[in-house]
Amino acid sequence: MLGLQPGSSTVVPTSAPVGHRFEPYDSNGGSIAAVCGKDFCIIASDTRQSTGYSIQTRYKPKVFRLNDKATLATNGFAADAEAMVSRIRQRLEWYRHSHGRSMPLHAIARMISTILYGKRFFPYYVYNILGGLDEEGKGAVYSFDPVGSYEREFCRAAGAAQSLIQPFLDNQIMFKNQHSTPEHTVPKPGEMSLPDVLKIVMDSFTSATERHIEVGDGLEMFVVRTPPSAQGEAIGAASVDLKAMGGVEAVGGEDEQEEGAVMVIRRELKKD
Amino acid sequence: MNYLPGQTWSSQPAQHHHQFASASYNTDPSAHTSQPIVTGTSVIAIRFKDGVMMATDTLASYGSLARFMDIKRIEKVGENTILGASGDMSDWQYVQHTLDKLMLREQNENDGHILSPSQIYAYLARVMYNRRSKMDPIWNSFVLAGVDPKDGSPFLGYVDLLGTTYSASTIATGFGLHLAQPLLRKAVEGREDQIEEEEAKRILEECMKVLFYRDARSLNRFVIATVTKEGSKISEPYSVPTSWGFAEMLRGYGPQTQ
Amino acid sequence: MFLTRSEYDRGVNTFSPEGRLFQVEYALEAIKLGSTTVGISTKEGVVLGVEKRVQSSLLESSSIEKIMEIDRHLGAAMSGLTADARTMIEHARVTSQNHAFTYDEEIKVESATQAVCDLALRFGESTEDDEAMMSRPFGVALLIAGIDEKGPQLYHADPSGTFVRYDAKAIGSGSEGAQGELQDKYRKDMSLKEASILTLRVLKQVMEEKLDENNVQLATVVPRVAKDGRPSGQFAIMPVEELKKVIEEM
Repeated sequence: MLGLQPGSSTVVPTSAPVGHRFEPYDSNGGSIAAVCGKDFCIIASDTRQSTGYSIQTRYKPKVFRLNDKATLATNGFAADAEAMVSRIRQRLEWYRHSHGRSMPLHAIARMISTILYGKRFFPYYVYNILGGLDEEGKGAVYSFDPVGSYEREFCRAAGAAQSLIQPFLDNQIMFKNQHSTPEHTVPKPGEMSLPDVLKIVMDSFTSATERHIEVGDGLEMFVVRTPPSAQGEAIGAASVDLKAMGGVEAVGGEDEQEEGAVMVIRRELKKD
Repeated sequence: MNYLPGQTWSSQPAQHHHQFASASYNTDPSAHTSQPIVTGTSVIAIRFKDGVMMATDTLASYGSLARFMDIKRIEKVGENTILGASGDMSDWQYVQHTLDKLMLREQNENDGHILSPSQIYAYLARVMYNRRSKMDPIWNSFVLAGVDPKDGSPFLGYVDLLGTTYSASTIATGFGLHLAQPLLRKAVEGREDQIEEEEAKRILEECMKVLFYRDARSLNRFVIATVTKEGSKISEPYSVPTSWGFAEMLRGYGPQTQ
Repeated sequence: MFLTRSEYDRGVNTFSPEGRLFQVEYALEAIKLGSTTVGISTKEGVVLGVEKRVQSSLLESSSIEKIMEIDRHLGAAMSGLTADARTMIEHARVTSQNHAFTYDEEIKVESATQAVCDLALRFGESTEDDEAMMSRPFGVALLIAGIDEKGPQLYHADPSGTFVRYDAKAIGSGSEGAQGELQDKYRKDMSLKEASILTLRVLKQVMEEKLDENNVQLATVVPRVAKDGRPSGQFAIMPVEELKKVIEEM
């Protein structure tokens, strides 16, 4: 349809105006990251949207609350991401109507994979990270490539500053390249407390803001956990007072929200 | 329909070829907009205390030729919304037609519901994204501005031929992105709720002047449109005074030949 | 004034003036001609039992297939026009596999039953955008047994596209007597073994021939844990040797 005509294997310069092929993709910068703990998950992104060297807006969310146990971060081509998120939300609602319950996290992960692969030959140019709680209430992170390959992990960074954030998380969350000494034993991954992980996520993004031109303006950290009210006595992540840290209830997604299940903490990042 | 090289007019309306483009199965590349032909340059818009304000000049260029000097690039969409366009002017007329149909359909419902600026924006964004997904883009960048008739909240959003969307308190398209946007941000960011209508107008006029100085496809003849909770108004085209005195001293501007 | 009953027999989707769809009602009658089929749900799992009518001594009884697997955790027993049931079970199997592929989890018993019932109503005249539809209602009813996160379940799906959950249910020619017997003998806390024996006893009462391992078939769904950690089931048709032992114990 477009490009070279069959039979004209060599490019012959013509006097006709050279039509430029329409490029249906753009890259809108920014970065996303997710880290899970024993009983919580943090899904974060900066809020800048850019194209080339232009900042389009300083506030355009890239993280979306899907339900009480699942939150999705998107990065890449913003228009594709938006279209994809609305398709996912529609599917979640259909599922809830036909099966009488919210879709569990691992099922959302598989569904996202099939949605992405369904457009294998005209892909959604979006890197996704799905974070939340699994069937046992444990923190979980699923990461995807644009055509649907996915895996479950403890932590993942993606987007413009992936190469800056991922090595930092590998070291601080996975304890890679750390060695036990007689005085200090290296802890196991996935057992860090919620406040400690929040600090690491904040540091990741302030550092990425310093060194990457596409990252900055604002930071949004979504925290998914078993809400304090659902626990008899609040223990673990549920006992952390996120409101004191500026946390507010995250809205959007399926409207069966339990108070405190998904909260968002917003911070400023440098705007230069 | 078939423009000859250099032919700038047609006996048929410019939007006509979209009837072919809208067919679901179409392998004819000539029915797709593969490049803009008659173009409009920057749209700039800001939020201010009582609502939103937008400016465009009235020029439609054919390449480097200043072809049409009195083209409207801002139109009202209902009573509370305005839409400004840069890019291909025939695609812009097609979009006007599409939105006119949408508003007419809504009005005919006669159910007391009025589409809010954010609803019109959502619709337009879907139209733009669907067309880019058919590899048949509507070759424009749009700025949609308005004030919600229900709660009086201001809205300012951008959408382009890729379906990319965003909201911000200052928006500029085309050349304005490079020349006007930094000036707008400096004047507006953080002061959205303090700027009076008069100041907002001065800010936009200053930017239109800067654009006229440096954008070769611009014109010192522009309109400013304002939306407040009282409704929207689009000014008559007017100019601002410019000074070219500095040019006397510079090689390349003045009468010097070397 | 009204047309006679027989004139409302013709259109499968034509209501009679009393508001009845005769073709659907006749389809329900077809089930009453079928062999008796029994299902019992207990805390320990679900059992399905069918009578195989061995019409001739030359007939190979193992070739009569009236209980079928839908998925690993789901099975169905049928009564009525068994050929129709193959279409329904095929649909349930495809739905179930599709669900597993798309969501990486096992389909719920109710959802699989719903899928079958959606199919059951796709008869009548097709409209333009519809795919080819069936000319008449199914002439078969199913007992669908399975275990999911809600525990062991037994559903009855009939040609009207209605499905209802039961603790114990009998369908087919001997269903009236069999249902009465189930009503008497069913206990919430019975074991799966007791349920299997009750199934056979009920079948024995309504069968004309003497019950043996060749003219009945049993299947069970027992608890299992799915790979995502949720409760699920394991469907299995009872092997003849095992069936023989249960019959002896009866």
